[in-house]
Amino acid sequence: MSQKSARAQRSNVVRTQRAANLKPFYIGLVVVALIGIALIARTAQHSDASRPTIANVAATPVKAEGHLLGNPNAPVQILEFADFECPHCAEFATITEPDVRKRIVQAGLASYRYFDFPIGEFSNSVAASNAAACAGDQNKFWEMHDKLFQGQPDWSGENNPKAVFKAYAKSLGVDVSAWDACYDSQKHLADIKANHDEGLRRHVNSTPTFVIGTKQIPGAIPYDMFKAYVDTAAMAAASKPVAKSDSAPLKEAGTKP
Amino acid sequence: MTIALLALVGALVALYLTLFKVGVIGELVCNIGSCERVNTSRWAMFFGVPVAAWGLATYVVLLVLALVSVQRDTLERQIAWVLVALSGWSVLFSAWLTSKELFVIHAICIWCVASATIMTLIFLASLLELGRARRADRAERFDAHGAAPPVASGSGTMGGSPQG
Repeated sequence: MSQKSARAQRSNVVRTQRAANLKPFYIGLVVVALIGIALIARTAQHSDASRPTIANVAATPVKAEGHLLGNPNAPVQILEFADFECPHCAEFATITEPDVRKRIVQAGLASYRYFDFPIGEFSNSVAASNAAACAGDQNKFWEMHDKLFQGQPDWSGENNPKAVFKAYAKSLGVDVSAWDACYDSQKHLADIKANHDEGLRRHVNSTPTFVIGTKQIPGAIPYDMFKAYVDTAAMAAASKPVAKSDSAPLKEAGTKP
Repeated sequence: MTIALLALVGALVALYLTLFKVGVIGELVCNIGSCERVNTSRWAMFFGVPVAAWGLATYVVLLVLALVSVQRDTLERQIAWVLVALSGWSVLFSAWLTSKELFVIHAICIWCVASATIMTLIFLASLLELGRARRADRAERFDAHGAAPPVASGSGTMGGSPQG
Protein backbone atom coordinates (compact mmCIF):
# COMPACT_ATOMS: atom_id res chain seq x y z
CA MET A 1 0.00 0.00 0.00
CA SER A 2 2.71 2.43 1.09
CA GLN A 3 4.81 1.30 -1.87
CA LYS A 4 1.89 2.13 -4.14
CA SER A 5 1.34 5.62 -2.73
CA ALA A 6 5.07 6.31 -2.90
CA ARG A 7 5.01 5.35 -6.56
CA ALA A 8 1.97 7.56 -7.17
CA GLN A 9 3.68 10.45 -5.43
CA ARG A 10 6.83 9.92 -7.48
CA SER A 11 4.72 9.79 -10.60
CA ASN A 12 3.03 13.09 -9.68
CA VAL A 13 6.36 14.77 -9.11
CA VAL A 14 7.64 13.46 -12.44
CA ARG A 15 4.48 14.69 -14.17
CA THR A 16 4.76 18.17 -12.66
CA GLN A 17 8.42 18.37 -13.60
CA ARG A 18 7.65 17.16 -17.10
CA ALA A 19 4.90 19.76 -17.55
CA ALA A 20 7.36 22.49 -16.54
CA ASN A 21 10.01 21.08 -18.86
CA LEU A 22 7.56 20.87 -21.75
CA LYS A 23 6.65 24.55 -21.70
CA PRO A 24 9.51 25.67 -23.99
CA PHE A 25 8.67 22.74 -26.27
CA TYR A 26 5.04 23.82 -26.64
CA ILE A 27 6.07 27.42 -27.17
CA GLY A 28 8.49 26.21 -29.87
CA LEU A 29 5.73 24.21 -31.55
CA VAL A 30 3.40 27.20 -31.58
CA VAL A 31 6.14 29.40 -33.00
CA VAL A 32 6.88 26.87 -35.77
CA ALA A 33 3.16 26.61 -36.55
CA LEU A 34 2.73 30.38 -36.68
CA ILE A 35 5.77 30.87 -38.90
CA GLY A 36 4.55 28.11 -41.23
CA ILE A 37 1.04 29.52 -41.46
CA ALA A 38 2.38 33.04 -42.03
CA LEU A 39 4.60 31.79 -44.88
CA ILE A 40 1.71 29.91 -46.46
CA ALA A 41 -0.58 32.94 -46.13
CA ARG A 42 2.07 35.12 -47.75
CA THR A 43 2.47 32.69 -50.63
CA ALA A 44 -1.30 32.49 -51.05
CA GLN A 45 -1.57 36.27 -51.16
CA HIS A 46 1.28 36.54 -53.61
CA SER A 47 -0.06 33.88 -55.94
CA ASP A 48 -3.63 35.11 -55.80
CA ALA A 49 -3.31 36.56 -59.26
CA SER A 50 -7.07 36.82 -59.44
CA ARG A 51 -8.74 34.99 -62.26
CA PRO A 52 -8.53 37.10 -65.39
CA THR A 53 -11.73 38.62 -66.62
CA ILE A 54 -12.53 40.95 -69.43
CA ALA A 55 -15.38 42.51 -67.48
CA ASN A 56 -13.14 45.18 -66.02
CA VAL A 57 -11.08 45.85 -69.10
CA ALA A 58 -11.66 49.41 -70.12
CA ALA A 59 -13.10 49.90 -73.55
CA THR A 60 -9.93 50.42 -75.51
CA PRO A 61 -9.52 51.13 -79.16
CA VAL A 62 -7.69 47.80 -79.64
CA LYS A 63 -8.60 46.32 -82.98
CA ALA A 64 -9.92 42.78 -83.03
CA GLU A 65 -7.25 40.71 -84.71
CA GLY A 66 -7.98 37.16 -83.77
CA HIS A 67 -5.29 34.56 -84.36
CA LEU A 68 -4.51 33.79 -87.95
CA LEU A 69 -3.81 30.42 -89.53
CA GLY A 70 -2.86 30.14 -93.18
CA ASN A 71 -2.55 32.66 -95.96
CA PRO A 72 -4.29 35.95 -95.13
CA ASN A 73 -4.78 36.56 -98.83
CA ALA A 74 -6.55 33.27 -99.50
CA PRO A 75 -9.74 33.64 -101.54
CA VAL A 76 -12.01 32.83 -98.58
CA GLN A 77 -11.73 34.02 -95.02
CA ILE A 78 -13.04 31.89 -92.19
CA LEU A 79 -13.59 33.36 -88.76
CA GLU A 80 -14.30 31.27 -85.73
CA PHE A 81 -15.75 32.73 -82.55
CA ALA A 82 -15.13 30.23 -79.81
CA ASP A 83 -14.73 29.76 -76.10
CA PHE A 84 -11.88 27.52 -74.96
CA GLU A 85 -14.03 26.12 -72.19
CA CYS A 86 -17.10 25.35 -74.28
CA PRO A 87 -17.51 21.60 -74.94
CA HIS A 88 -18.95 22.05 -78.45
CA CYS A 89 -15.95 24.17 -79.40
CA ALA A 90 -13.67 21.42 -78.10
CA GLU A 91 -15.66 18.87 -80.08
CA PHE A 92 -15.20 20.89 -83.26
CA ALA A 93 -11.53 21.62 -82.54
CA THR A 94 -10.66 17.98 -81.97
CA ILE A 95 -12.90 16.24 -84.50
CA THR A 96 -13.54 18.55 -87.44
CA GLU A 97 -10.86 21.20 -87.31
CA PRO A 98 -7.92 18.92 -88.18
CA ASP A 99 -9.64 18.18 -91.51
CA VAL A 100 -10.45 21.84 -92.04
CA ARG A 101 -6.83 22.78 -91.51
CA LYS A 102 -5.45 20.06 -93.73
CA ARG A 103 -7.87 20.12 -96.62
CA ILE A 104 -8.96 23.74 -96.64
CA VAL A 105 -6.43 25.99 -94.92
CA GLN A 106 -3.22 24.18 -95.86
CA ALA A 107 -4.60 23.64 -99.35
CA GLY A 108 -4.76 27.43 -99.66
CA LEU A 109 -8.52 27.57 -100.12
CA ALA A 110 -9.11 29.77 -97.10
CA SER A 111 -7.51 31.51 -94.18
CA TYR A 112 -8.69 30.76 -90.68
CA ARG A 113 -8.88 33.20 -87.83
CA TYR A 114 -9.75 32.34 -84.25
CA PHE A 115 -11.53 34.97 -82.15
CA ASP A 116 -11.87 34.56 -78.42
CA PHE A 117 -15.51 34.71 -77.48
CA PRO A 118 -15.77 33.89 -73.77
CA ILE A 119 -19.50 33.47 -73.32
CA GLY A 120 -19.45 34.04 -69.58
CA GLU A 121 -20.84 30.64 -68.70
CA PHE A 122 -17.52 29.19 -67.65
CA SER A 123 -15.01 30.23 -65.07
CA ASN A 124 -11.75 29.67 -66.93
CA SER A 125 -12.52 30.81 -70.49
CA VAL A 126 -10.67 34.09 -70.26
CA ALA A 127 -7.80 32.49 -68.40
CA ALA A 128 -7.46 29.97 -71.23
CA SER A 129 -7.58 32.71 -73.86
CA ASN A 130 -4.92 34.53 -71.88
CA ALA A 131 -2.78 31.38 -71.76
CA ALA A 132 -3.13 30.87 -75.52
CA ALA A 133 -2.37 34.51 -76.33
CA CYS A 134 0.78 34.34 -74.21
CA ALA A 135 1.85 31.20 -76.07
CA GLY A 136 1.05 33.15 -79.24
CA ASP A 137 3.71 35.68 -78.24
CA GLN A 138 6.16 32.86 -78.87
CA ASN A 139 4.40 31.71 -82.05
CA LYS A 140 2.76 28.79 -80.28
CA PHE A 141 -0.82 29.99 -80.25
CA TRP A 142 -2.19 27.13 -82.32
CA GLU A 143 -0.22 24.51 -80.46
CA MET A 144 -1.61 25.88 -77.21
CA HIS A 145 -5.07 26.15 -78.78
CA ASP A 146 -4.94 22.42 -79.55
CA LYS A 147 -3.63 21.52 -76.11
CA LEU A 148 -6.35 23.55 -74.42
CA PHE A 149 -9.14 21.93 -76.36
CA GLN A 150 -7.73 18.42 -76.14
CA GLY A 151 -7.14 18.74 -72.42
CA GLN A 152 -10.30 20.71 -71.64
CA PRO A 153 -11.52 18.28 -68.93
CA ASP A 154 -8.21 18.70 -67.11
CA TRP A 155 -8.65 22.41 -66.46
CA SER A 156 -12.29 23.27 -67.10
CA GLY A 157 -13.85 24.50 -63.88
CA GLU A 158 -10.60 23.92 -61.98
CA ASN A 159 -9.54 26.36 -59.35
CA ASN A 160 -5.99 26.22 -60.57
CA PRO A 161 -6.16 26.36 -64.35
CA LYS A 162 -2.84 28.16 -64.55
CA ALA A 163 -0.98 25.13 -63.24
CA VAL A 164 -2.36 23.03 -66.11
CA PHE A 165 -1.75 25.78 -68.68
CA LYS A 166 1.80 26.15 -67.47
CA ALA A 167 2.37 22.43 -67.84
CA TYR A 168 1.06 22.69 -71.43
CA ALA A 169 3.37 25.65 -72.11
CA LYS A 170 6.29 23.66 -70.79
CA SER A 171 5.43 20.63 -72.91
CA LEU A 172 5.23 22.85 -76.00
CA GLY A 173 8.75 24.11 -75.46
CA VAL A 174 7.58 27.63 -74.69
CA ASP A 175 9.91 29.83 -72.63
CA VAL A 176 7.97 29.29 -69.44
CA SER A 177 9.29 32.27 -67.50
CA ALA A 178 8.33 34.65 -70.33
CA TRP A 179 4.96 32.92 -70.65
CA ASP A 180 4.49 33.16 -66.91
CA ALA A 181 5.25 36.88 -66.85
CA CYS A 182 2.88 37.43 -69.76
CA TYR A 183 0.12 35.40 -68.12
CA ASP A 184 0.36 37.25 -64.84
CA SER A 185 0.53 40.65 -66.50
CA GLN A 186 -2.76 39.88 -68.29
CA LYS A 187 -1.56 42.13 -71.05
CA HIS A 188 -3.69 40.35 -73.65
CA LEU A 189 -6.99 40.99 -71.93
CA ALA A 190 -7.62 44.03 -74.09
CA ASP A 191 -7.08 41.90 -77.23
CA ILE A 192 -9.40 39.21 -75.88
CA LYS A 193 -12.01 41.82 -75.14
CA ALA A 194 -11.60 43.27 -78.61
CA ASN A 195 -12.12 39.80 -80.12
CA HIS A 196 -15.17 39.32 -77.96
CA ASP A 197 -16.53 42.73 -78.95
CA GLU A 198 -16.07 41.83 -82.60
CA GLY A 199 -18.29 38.82 -81.99
CA LEU A 200 -20.91 40.97 -80.30
CA ARG A 201 -20.78 43.37 -83.22
CA ARG A 202 -21.59 40.43 -85.46
CA HIS A 203 -24.40 39.32 -83.13
CA VAL A 204 -22.67 36.10 -82.20
CA ASN A 205 -24.62 34.55 -79.36
CA SER A 206 -23.36 31.00 -79.18
CA THR A 207 -20.10 29.15 -79.62
CA PRO A 208 -18.68 28.04 -81.85
CA THR A 209 -19.93 30.40 -84.53
CA PHE A 210 -18.26 30.55 -87.91
CA VAL A 211 -18.17 33.24 -90.52
CA ILE A 212 -17.31 31.72 -93.88
CA GLY A 213 -17.10 34.37 -96.52
CA THR A 214 -20.25 36.35 -95.93
CA LYS A 215 -22.28 33.62 -94.19
CA GLN A 216 -22.49 33.33 -90.44
CA ILE A 217 -23.07 29.79 -89.21
CA PRO A 218 -23.60 28.87 -85.57
CA GLY A 219 -22.74 25.41 -84.23
CA ALA A 220 -20.06 22.75 -84.54
CA ILE A 221 -20.92 21.89 -88.12
CA PRO A 222 -19.46 18.75 -89.71
CA TYR A 223 -16.65 18.89 -92.22
CA ASP A 224 -18.76 18.30 -95.33
CA MET A 225 -21.05 21.19 -94.51
CA PHE A 226 -18.05 23.34 -93.70
CA LYS A 227 -16.46 22.53 -97.04
CA ALA A 228 -19.70 23.30 -98.84
CA TYR A 229 -19.81 26.77 -97.29
CA VAL A 230 -16.16 27.33 -98.26
CA ASP A 231 -16.84 26.23 -101.86
CA THR A 232 -19.84 28.56 -102.07
CA ALA A 233 -17.79 31.45 -100.66
CA ALA A 234 -14.95 30.64 -103.06
CA MET A 235 -17.33 30.73 -106.03
CA ALA A 236 -18.76 34.04 -104.82
CA ALA A 237 -15.25 35.42 -104.39
CA ALA A 238 -14.26 34.23 -107.87
CA SER A 239 -17.22 35.95 -109.43
CA LYS A 240 -16.37 39.19 -107.61
CA PRO A 241 -12.58 39.17 -107.44
CA VAL A 242 -12.25 42.71 -106.19
CA ALA A 243 -14.91 42.51 -103.51
CA LYS A 244 -13.76 42.27 -99.97
CA SER A 245 -15.62 40.20 -97.48
CA ASP A 246 -16.92 41.62 -94.27
CA SER A 247 -14.06 39.96 -92.50
CA ALA A 248 -11.49 42.10 -94.23
CA PRO A 249 -7.92 40.98 -93.61
CA LEU A 250 -6.84 41.94 -90.19
CA LYS A 251 -3.37 42.30 -88.86
CA GLU A 252 -1.50 39.01 -88.93
CA ALA A 253 -1.11 37.38 -85.56
CA GLY A 254 0.24 34.01 -84.65
CA THR A 255 0.56 32.99 -88.26
CA LYS A 256 1.17 29.35 -88.84
CA PRO A 257 1.93 27.98 -92.28
CA MET B 1 8.96 15.59 -29.01
CA THR B 2 10.83 14.90 -32.22
CA ILE B 3 7.80 13.17 -33.71
CA ALA B 4 5.51 16.05 -32.76
CA LEU B 5 7.84 18.60 -34.32
CA LEU B 6 8.27 16.55 -37.49
CA ALA B 7 4.51 15.96 -37.71
CA LEU B 8 3.88 19.68 -37.37
CA VAL B 9 6.32 20.53 -40.16
CA GLY B 10 4.83 17.75 -42.28
CA ALA B 11 1.33 19.06 -41.62
CA LEU B 12 2.40 22.53 -42.80
CA VAL B 13 3.87 21.09 -46.01
CA ALA B 14 0.71 19.04 -46.61
CA LEU B 15 -1.46 22.08 -45.84
CA TYR B 16 0.45 24.09 -48.43
CA LEU B 17 -0.04 21.41 -51.09
CA THR B 18 -3.70 20.95 -50.14
CA LEU B 19 -4.39 24.67 -50.44
CA PHE B 20 -2.80 24.58 -53.87
CA LYS B 21 -4.90 21.62 -54.89
CA VAL B 22 -8.16 23.19 -53.78
CA GLY B 23 -7.27 26.45 -55.46
CA VAL B 24 -6.61 28.76 -52.54
CA ILE B 25 -2.99 29.05 -53.66
CA GLY B 26 -2.62 29.64 -57.36
CA GLU B 27 0.98 28.66 -57.75
CA LEU B 28 3.54 26.62 -55.83
CA VAL B 29 6.98 27.89 -54.96
CA CYS B 30 8.98 25.21 -56.72
CA ASN B 31 12.55 26.00 -57.71
CA ILE B 32 13.51 22.37 -58.13
CA GLY B 33 11.43 19.88 -60.08
CA SER B 34 7.94 20.36 -61.41
CA CYS B 35 5.55 20.51 -58.47
CA GLU B 36 2.55 21.68 -60.45
CA ARG B 37 2.86 18.93 -63.02
CA VAL B 38 2.91 16.34 -60.28
CA ASN B 39 0.09 17.96 -58.32
CA THR B 40 -2.16 18.26 -61.31
CA SER B 41 -1.57 14.68 -62.42
CA ARG B 42 -4.15 12.00 -61.77
CA TRP B 43 -1.92 10.54 -59.07
CA ALA B 44 -2.55 13.64 -56.96
CA MET B 45 -5.98 12.27 -56.06
CA PHE B 46 -6.75 9.19 -53.98
CA PHE B 47 -10.34 7.99 -53.63
CA GLY B 48 -11.54 11.35 -54.89
CA VAL B 49 -9.64 13.29 -52.24
CA PRO B 50 -6.36 15.14 -52.88
CA VAL B 51 -3.38 13.07 -51.74
CA ALA B 52 -2.13 16.18 -49.95
CA ALA B 53 -5.33 16.24 -47.87
CA TRP B 54 -4.78 12.60 -46.89
CA GLY B 55 -1.27 13.59 -45.90
CA LEU B 56 -2.54 16.52 -43.88
CA ALA B 57 -5.01 14.31 -42.01
CA THR B 58 -2.29 11.73 -41.32
CA TYR B 59 0.12 14.36 -40.00
CA VAL B 60 -2.55 15.84 -37.75
CA VAL B 61 -3.30 12.39 -36.28
CA LEU B 62 0.43 11.76 -35.81
CA LEU B 63 0.83 15.17 -34.18
CA VAL B 64 -2.03 14.55 -31.75
CA LEU B 65 -0.73 11.09 -30.85
CA ALA B 66 2.78 12.42 -30.39
CA LEU B 67 1.53 15.21 -28.13
CA VAL B 68 -0.52 12.74 -26.10
CA SER B 69 2.45 10.44 -25.75
CA VAL B 70 4.65 13.36 -24.66
CA GLN B 71 2.19 14.18 -21.88
CA ARG B 72 1.14 10.80 -20.61
CA ASP B 73 2.89 7.97 -18.91
CA THR B 74 0.28 5.35 -19.60
CA LEU B 75 -0.65 3.91 -23.00
CA GLU B 76 2.75 4.89 -24.30
CA ARG B 77 3.39 1.52 -25.80
CA GLN B 78 0.03 1.35 -27.55
CA ILE B 79 0.51 4.85 -28.90
CA ALA B 80 3.98 3.95 -30.10
CA TRP B 81 2.52 0.97 -31.96
CA VAL B 82 -0.08 3.18 -33.64
CA LEU B 83 2.62 5.70 -34.55
CA VAL B 84 4.77 2.97 -36.08
CA ALA B 85 1.85 1.47 -38.00
CA LEU B 86 0.51 4.78 -39.32
CA SER B 87 3.87 6.24 -40.26
CA GLY B 88 4.99 2.88 -41.72
CA TRP B 89 1.93 2.75 -43.96
CA SER B 90 2.50 6.39 -44.94
CA VAL B 91 6.13 5.70 -45.83
CA LEU B 92 5.02 2.89 -48.13
CA PHE B 93 2.38 5.13 -49.68
CA SER B 94 4.93 7.94 -50.16
CA ALA B 95 7.34 5.48 -51.78
CA TRP B 96 4.60 4.40 -54.18
CA LEU B 97 3.84 8.03 -55.04
CA THR B 98 7.52 8.84 -55.52
CA SER B 99 7.85 5.89 -57.88
CA LYS B 100 4.92 7.32 -59.89
CA GLU B 101 6.70 10.69 -60.01
CA LEU B 102 9.92 9.11 -61.24
CA PHE B 103 8.66 6.50 -63.66
CA VAL B 104 5.19 7.58 -64.79
CA ILE B 105 4.90 11.36 -64.52
CA HIS B 106 8.64 11.87 -65.09
CA ALA B 107 8.65 14.89 -62.82
CA ILE B 108 9.61 15.45 -59.23
CA CYS B 109 7.75 17.58 -56.73
CA ILE B 110 10.19 18.84 -54.15
CA TRP B 111 7.43 19.39 -51.57
CA CYS B 112 6.29 15.80 -52.00
CA VAL B 113 9.86 14.60 -51.55
CA ALA B 114 10.11 16.77 -48.42
CA SER B 115 6.93 15.19 -47.09
CA ALA B 116 8.16 11.68 -47.87
CA THR B 117 11.43 12.43 -46.05
CA ILE B 118 9.61 13.82 -43.02
CA MET B 119 7.35 10.76 -42.92
CA THR B 120 10.38 8.45 -43.07
CA LEU B 121 11.99 10.33 -40.19
CA ILE B 122 8.74 10.04 -38.19
CA PHE B 123 8.70 6.31 -38.87
CA LEU B 124 12.28 5.90 -37.64
CA ALA B 125 11.60 8.06 -34.58
CA SER B 126 8.45 6.00 -33.89
CA LEU B 127 10.49 2.80 -33.99
CA LEU B 128 12.88 4.27 -31.44
CA GLU B 129 9.90 5.41 -29.37
CA LEU B 130 8.40 1.94 -29.50
CA GLY B 131 11.67 0.39 -28.35
CA ARG B 132 11.88 2.89 -25.52
CA ALA B 133 8.24 2.30 -24.53
CA ARG B 134 8.78 -1.45 -24.48
CA ARG B 135 11.88 -1.13 -22.33
CA ALA B 136 10.07 1.23 -19.95
CA ASP B 137 7.11 -1.13 -19.84
CA ARG B 138 9.33 -4.07 -18.97
CA ALA B 139 11.23 -2.08 -16.36
CA GLU B 140 7.97 -0.96 -14.77
CA ARG B 141 6.67 -4.49 -14.59
CA PHE B 142 9.95 -5.61 -13.15
CA ASP B 143 9.71 -2.79 -10.62
CA ALA B 144 6.11 -3.69 -9.74
CA HIS B 145 6.74 -7.38 -9.23
CA GLY B 146 10.18 -6.99 -7.76
CA ALA B 147 11.15 -9.97 -9.86
CA ALA B 148 12.30 -10.90 -13.31
CA PRO B 149 10.02 -9.77 -16.15
CA PRO B 150 7.31 -12.28 -16.94
CA VAL B 151 7.94 -14.46 -19.96
CA ALA B 152 4.33 -14.98 -20.99
CA SER B 153 2.54 -12.69 -18.63
CA GLY B 154 -0.89 -12.29 -20.23
CA SER B 155 -0.73 -8.78 -18.84
CA GLY B 156 -3.27 -7.42 -21.27
CA THR B 157 -0.90 -6.02 -23.89
CA MET B 158 -1.75 -7.03 -27.38
CA GLY B 159 0.32 -7.35 -30.49
CA GLY B 160 2.78 -10.08 -29.56
CA SER B 161 5.27 -10.59 -26.82
CA PRO B 162 8.14 -8.14 -26.36
CA GLN B 163 10.53 -10.86 -27.47
CA GLY B 164 8.86 -11.04 -30.83
